[in-house]
Amino acid sequence: MVYSEESDVYSIQTIDLSKRFTKKKHRGIFGFLRKDRKKEKPKSKNSDIVVALDHVNVKVRPGELFGLLGPNGAGKTTLVKCLSTILIPDKGTAVVNGFDIRKQTSMVRASLGMVVGGERTLYWKLTARDNLMYFASLYKMPRKQAKRRVEELLEVMQLSDRGDERLEDYSTGMRQKIAIIRALLHDPPILLLDEPTLGLDPTFSRQIRNQIRELAEKQGKTVLLTTHYMEEADQLCDRIAVINNGKVIAVDTSDNLKALVKETELVEIACYNAPSDIRAHIKIHCPDIEMVKLIHGDEAKGTPSRIKLIGGNAEEHISTVMDMLRQKNVRLCSLNIGVPTLEDVFIKLTGAKLTESGHGG
Amino acid sequence: MMKLKGSTLPQSSLHSNYFIVWSEVVKNLKFLLAYPVVFIFWAVFPVFWFIPFILQGEAFVGGLQSQSFADIAGTPEFIPFVVLGAILNSFVLTSLYGMGESIRREAYRGTLDYILSSPCNKAFILIGKALSESISSTIFAFTQLAICILFFGIELTLGIIIPVIFIVILLILGLYGMALILAALSLRYKQAHDMAHTMEYVFSVFSPVRYPLASLPLWGQILGKLLPLTYALIAVRSIMLLKQNLAMLYLEVLMLLIIDAVAIFLGFYLFNWMEERTKKSGTISHF
Repeated sequence: MVYSEESDVYSIQTIDLSKRFTKKKHRGIFGFLRKDRKKEKPKSKNSDIVVALDHVNVKVRPGELFGLLGPNGAGKTTLVKCLSTILIPDKGTAVVNGFDIRKQTSMVRASLGMVVGGERTLYWKLTARDNLMYFASLYKMPRKQAKRRVEELLEVMQLSDRGDERLEDYSTGMRQKIAIIRALLHDPPILLLDEPTLGLDPTFSRQIRNQIRELAEKQGKTVLLTTHYMEEADQLCDRIAVINNGKVIAVDTSDNLKALVKETELVEIACYNAPSDIRAHIKIHCPDIEMVKLIHGDEAKGTPSRIKLIGGNAEEHISTVMDMLRQKNVRLCSLNIGVPTLEDVFIKLTGAKLTESGHGG
Repeated sequence: MMKLKGSTLPQSSLHSNYFIVWSEVVKNLKFLLAYPVVFIFWAVFPVFWFIPFILQGEAFVGGLQSQSFADIAGTPEFIPFVVLGAILNSFVLTSLYGMGESIRREAYRGTLDYILSSPCNKAFILIGKALSESISSTIFAFTQLAICILFFGIELTLGIIIPVIFIVILLILGLYGMALILAALSLRYKQAHDMAHTMEYVFSVFSPVRYPLASLPLWGQILGKLLPLTYALIAVRSIMLLKQNLAMLYLEVLMLLIIDAVAIFLGFYLFNWMEERTKKSGTISHF
């Protein structure tokens, strides 16, 4: 999709959006008797505050498929909840479809369709049609129009013949399709999709991804997609914002983000039996490599672990590292040089990998 | 900033608001029918609840009538007194446990976020919830009444049905105001079931469900006079057992109207306030 960089029309624009949560300490029912209770108080005052969003500024253009990529707890869901008016931000604001999320909540809500929380957010004891008719009513749709729209969308998702079955008899993927239909009922210009393929098998994931792509390309919907699946963000999104610990640390196209990691800066070694102290050894022997990451694979199931060397002309150190691995009886599988993924970008930007960062919320 | 699709944003109309209420009622009744055991439990349980009190009363006074009971209750008939108390009290139970817990149940199901992030006026959803509870409560009450007519000699004539229904409607309005307060508190404090349990006992102790109000100490009588069930019980018993008409019960009707207005206003106010607070704290979908 081609956009004018000068355009100031945005479907979503956040302005210094900030949200903090105070976590309550659970001391148990006799916690008040603890002697160290008073001592802990001033210390805990800061440690109990979690910064979920830290002055977030993002701009999403009309018709754009915009990805929010970050680990669990990075602040993706908090951002989606603020945009959908379920959460009130502490500072800053956002404008959705031209409406302020603080002042024009009803108009913001009417402009959005959202998929948050997946299959658990539907009534399992009701049929698909009953669910969809109920949610259509909440969007002030006239009954006849709602009925027509429900049938149309069930047809598109190939669920017409199962529309009268209770959702408890559906598979996870089918329920997720119903959740997506619900988001589309009132034909909103903007969709907020929070981890829409989480927990789905590859077939359903592919179907859902194709559907999302179609929504943006054929129907011109603006889609804000949060995910911690790099491939998903890579395949689908026109632009991606990398978010970690509540901060947006980079926004660009997938290709431009990957260009942040130079070819000579990246080496990936797939192997079995890598000892956990291998990182420290490599760091000692090759001190100018900026970052060494050991990503454990499920070796028992045939997925090798991966050692990533990033930055500081990592390529020059390959032979030294290989010798080191041989000495440690590590079984080598493959070696890749200079093919960065979004995960490498994330590691480069944050120093952590997507599965280990974040602090909840 | 330009709006993308402002012209197609849905507008509220009488029809769309009616559709919200209707959808909420249909949804809740379908849920009720999805669990038939719950339906049977609520229809029959209150009958079993008052049988021990009838037997206990009979054992104490040696029969089904008592002069000392008549002196304070205005009627010597113990059984109709308790039966009517139990039937009206079942409206308290269904409203507190049904409507009061409904918000928490939505949070359990994960649907609360979607309800609260929809553009419709939440008052219509709450009205729909109250209406569906009223329908189910009335079905339960009629089941109990049918059992009582068959087995306990309660008389029901067409002439007294209309004023009784009028009083029951006034009672339901007050109860749903109170249940709304409970629903609002459950948004913030979550333990709706325990709060409903506490309120249930306040109603059953301080309203004249099993005994006349005069049996309570003075402070208890004052507390009882703040509860809508007290006035509804006095009015319904006066109509059904003492053959009084609504004009003679203007004070009870007036008190019910005042309590209804205060409870409904407080309920909606508190609900909006708690919704705002939980949206700030981020605990709205916690349970």
